[in-house]
Amino acid sequence: MIEVNNLHKSFIDKKDKKNSVKALDGLSFTAKDGEITGILGPNGAGKTTCLRTLYGLLSADEGFATIDGISVTESPLEARSKLGIFPDKFGLYERLTAYEQIDYFASLHGMTGKSKKQAIEQVIQDLELGELAHRKTVGFSQGQRMKVTLAQALVHQPQNFVLDEPTRGLDVMSTRILRNHLAKFKAKGHCILFSSHVMQEVAALCDRVIIVANGKLAAQGTPQELCELAGEKNLEEAFVKLIGSDEGVAA
Amino acid sequence: MITSKFNMNLIQLKALLLKEYREAFRDKRALMVALGLAILAPIGIMLMSKIMIEKLVDEPPVYVKFVGAEHAPKLISHFADKNLFNFSDVPEDERSTWEKRNIAIEIPADYAADMAEGKPIKLHLQADFTDKAVQPPVRRINNAVREFSMSIGYKRLLLRGVDIRLLNPVKLIEQDTAKPDATFMLISMMLGVYLMLAAFMSGLSVAIDSSAGERERNVLEMLLCQPVSTLKIVLAKLISASTVSVIGVLLILVLTSISMSFVDLTKIGATFNLDFSTAIVLLLLLLPICFFATACQLFVAFQTKSFKEAQSTVGMLIGIPAFIPFVVSMMDDRPDWVNWLPISGQSMIIEKIFKGADVDWLAVFATSSVTIAITAALVLGLAKKLKSEKVVMALS
Repeated sequence: MIEVNNLHKSFIDKKDKKNSVKALDGLSFTAKDGEITGILGPNGAGKTTCLRTLYGLLSADEGFATIDGISVTESPLEARSKLGIFPDKFGLYERLTAYEQIDYFASLHGMTGKSKKQAIEQVIQDLELGELAHRKTVGFSQGQRMKVTLAQALVHQPQNFVLDEPTRGLDVMSTRILRNHLAKFKAKGHCILFSSHVMQEVAALCDRVIIVANGKLAAQGTPQELCELAGEKNLEEAFVKLIGSDEGVAA
Repeated sequence: MITSKFNMNLIQLKALLLKEYREAFRDKRALMVALGLAILAPIGIMLMSKIMIEKLVDEPPVYVKFVGAEHAPKLISHFADKNLFNFSDVPEDERSTWEKRNIAIEIPADYAADMAEGKPIKLHLQADFTDKAVQPPVRRINNAVREFSMSIGYKRLLLRGVDIRLLNPVKLIEQDTAKPDATFMLISMMLGVYLMLAAFMSGLSVAIDSSAGERERNVLEMLLCQPVSTLKIVLAKLISASTVSVIGVLLILVLTSISMSFVDLTKIGATFNLDFSTAIVLLLLLLPICFFATACQLFVAFQTKSFKEAQSTVGMLIGIPAFIPFVVSMMDDRPDWVNWLPISGQSMIIEKIFKGADVDWLAVFATSSVTIAITAALVLGLAKKLKSEKVVMALS
């Protein structure tokens, strides 16, 4: 379970105070186990800042975030060990093979020996990476890179997944693989939090949607509830209406 | 629980190190450039010493007016081996000089007959012995004649079954306690500086690549989101880059000791002894420096905004090992603390080693301890800095 409570975060430009950005302005939400929670928000709404605070990369000015009840600021290592991360900016170690990278991250989570090997084989099979596994990742296509990064994030079967726009650049087949994967983990009782721009995907996949605008929670609920709240038929219209009006904040 | 935590630390550190080594040693080109320096240094030192020796022991041709050269062809060819030629062969542009010096040797007509009978032969050397320019050629002629005469004398005794060692009952072995020759000092100082430079430069590319490079390739952020302590991350990077720099130092030591064996320094009255034990002491001295250098580089590189900035900023660090030994060797009244600091302390010990003095183990221990302590402080400081969002995100 991931809980975010009253997060505030500003990036202050020391030379020119006018350039300072208030990225998070009291954002709170909860992502429950056994659910897929989607974060929707326009560009610059504070989605990535929120997720980075969750990983412990950024420290919030105010408020706190917990993962399975563990504070990310007080015991970051313990909190991170319960987390699988697919970050906003990601790169690959281009001098390593895909297998070595997945192995690396598995080891960082303390996996060893047979169980590690099995887990790696499993995730490679699940994400259909078999052919690529023993090639160096230099020259991988965007989609292939995403898959390796996903494999890295999933190999240790974390209780909580945080994915920052995981489907960008993926083809239909890969998106489907990912979706099935997430659904499987959801069924097993994992907590999945992911941000996206693709409305259909959010509508199809998410049990709950959190709409973030200007660093604040604009609205939350099931896709259906959000549509009803905005009085629109599809999520996209509802989304536009909700971030555009302040009425949504009250919900 | 404690053992499992220890195990966890071990697994993580092993994984981090393995990955750093893989990345460092798979970047063949950068590695070649880094170690190329180490390979170039001994060759440069060898060539330089060769040129210096040639200059110092250079024996330019001397032209002598032989009278009766036809009587002693073997003697003449021995002279020729020693770069002493007949005046008739003098090149046009030097003719007037040698005409002025006017060195003449007269070989008697009964040379061959006297030689066959074993009678003493008198050669006459005529020259203006007060002329400074004539003195070195005369000395060389003297030596050449004595050598020639001795070699014939030895052969005569050998033929009669006499051990020629009987002729040298007492042998004088010279040990010069004066300061070594200035040129040789330069060579050994160069080697000292070069070793220091190698410690700093060999690991440089790996250090930058694994810090600023990783951030620029967006892999650092991912790593810092993992449940690993930043101390372990820094340690792994430190160890891998230091390994490369230790390899660089080792290469220089091994290659220098090999290449210098091709150079005969005794010709200029100097000895260069990079034997096994000296090499071990040097390595021991430079090991902490390798780690210190890498720690400095990582510390600086992580705090730069980009890979490019890291390259130029860290590049400036190289000035330190090149500059400090020179400054220290120029100082007449060295304050005590200079002995303790990294680089200056080591460079002074290295200088003493090359001068042939005994190793001051206390000084080695002291300067190494200080170096290691500063390195540890840098590592801990960096581990702390990596927890700050400014360093991670390269924010200003």
